[in-house]
Amino acid sequence: MIRRALAWTLSVLLVMPVILLVLLSVARHWTWPALLPTDLQWRQWQELTAASSTLVAVALRSLGLSVGVAMVATILGFLSSRSVARHPRQGQLLVLLHLPFAVSPVVLGVSLLYAFLRLHLAGHIAGVMLAQLIFAYAYAVILLSGFWNSQVLTLAELAISLGAKRPQVWFRVLLPLARPLLFVCLFQTFMISWFDYALTLLIGDSQVTTLTVTLYQYFSSGDIRLAATCALLLLAPPLFALGINHRLLSATVVTRLEAQSD
Amino acid sequence: MAGLAFMLLYSTGVIGLLATGFTLRYWSHVLIDGQTWISLAYSALLGSASLGASLVLALALQAALGVRLRTGALRGLLFLPMAIPPIVAALLSVQMLGNAGLLSRVAHAAGLVARPEDFPALLYTPAGLGIVITHVMLVTPFLLLMLDRIERHALLSDLEQMARTLGASPWQAWRRVCLPVLLRAGAPVLSVYLVVLMGAYEVPLLVGAQYPSMISVLIQRRFSQFDMGTRPEAYVLASIYACLAAGLLLVLFAPRARRSAQEHGA
Repeated sequence: MIRRALAWTLSVLLVMPVILLVLLSVARHWTWPALLPTDLQWRQWQELTAASSTLVAVALRSLGLSVGVAMVATILGFLSSRSVARHPRQGQLLVLLHLPFAVSPVVLGVSLLYAFLRLHLAGHIAGVMLAQLIFAYAYAVILLSGFWNSQVLTLAELAISLGAKRPQVWFRVLLPLARPLLFVCLFQTFMISWFDYALTLLIGDSQVTTLTVTLYQYFSSGDIRLAATCALLLLAPPLFALGINHRLLSATVVTRLEAQSD
Repeated sequence: MAGLAFMLLYSTGVIGLLATGFTLRYWSHVLIDGQTWISLAYSALLGSASLGASLVLALALQAALGVRLRTGALRGLLFLPMAIPPIVAALLSVQMLGNAGLLSRVAHAAGLVARPEDFPALLYTPAGLGIVITHVMLVTPFLLLMLDRIERHALLSDLEQMARTLGASPWQAWRRVCLPVLLRAGAPVLSVYLVVLMGAYEVPLLVGAQYPSMISVLIQRRFSQFDMGTRPEAYVLASIYACLAAGLLLVLFAPRARRSAQEHGA
């Protein structure tokens, strides 16, 4: 009975942030000490559907950026992960791949900015994409290096011994086997870019506006309603993924554990 | 590595907009500045406190809920915080923990406070309580899922049962058998999380105090100041932190990497 009550309490606590964001995004008046908004308005959600909406443009830019980062990181990560998995110093290489996460996005952004300024990449979406790729690529290699186990390598060797050419091994054997993990990798690397704030702020040099940057601007200006609307847009892709398949998000737990336990 | 080289060159006046040739004055200025060490210690303290509190809470919830973690709505809902980026988590903290936030309203409804000012300050305090609470809300569900996965893989219930049949009490079986297995298996993830939490940016930026500030916030502030002269100092701070974080990660992972190399060679 106590366990059941605890499970229910925890469930409510886990759902509450999303409910709070929805209420904040539609509240016209919600002054202290009211527990619920006293007046609602749907204006910004209606405006969101208009083609000229600024938020829609920002959301589409963020989407394009994140999809680009995810695709490039997954393709490069898949190719590189094979070499990492077969390397005699695989453990050390995996530790090195964790370095971008260890030094924090702010330090990475600061370290890259001078070079990016000289290369005229700062303040451009291509520069932000390149900076985010460092994180996304490292994550993709860590995640996908777990794919190259002895069973997969044996199957690839078997295909070669049966006369398959190298492209056939990749397209007929390896890619079909890796497809589920590649989808997970695409989604996770998408999330790295989608959630990024610090790198976009530093490398984007206030010229590149994404949803996270816009959320901060609304928050700083005290417009909580629009900040909450931005937050809900940020939550939409991962919540959608959660709805269709836990595995897309559970990979964060599973693969980090497996990749790091060699 | 290239980024670190750029930072070192910039911080020693070799490159940069105001470069005047090699100098160590920015380094000496930052190294004797007390704020540098306070910020580093503050980051380590809040990172450790956030991870420690999350781990204790996750272990307690796992022990209390057991198999219920894998059944019903809770199983899916535990993934929900992973869909929340740190900047949104900070926004939620302000709306929940602030003086006029949801908790304060609930406290008023319960008759505990009469005005918003009566509600205890949880945000923007030098103690960093808001930062720790926000990180705990974000990290605990992830750790709970991780512990549950380890429990299933390590067949912990079988081990616990064996300890019980050998005469251990429930507490002894958990503390002497389950806890060491969970911590050892979770050590790599916990190590990475510790370093990531120490370098957190969005949450301390939005719910942290002006002073002291966590290292990422301090670096960004020095970097973005109107006075361009502070930029090399930001590079000094970033270089110090990058070396410390990378060193910490290497120390935490070195035994594992060595073991992996030995297994590969065998």
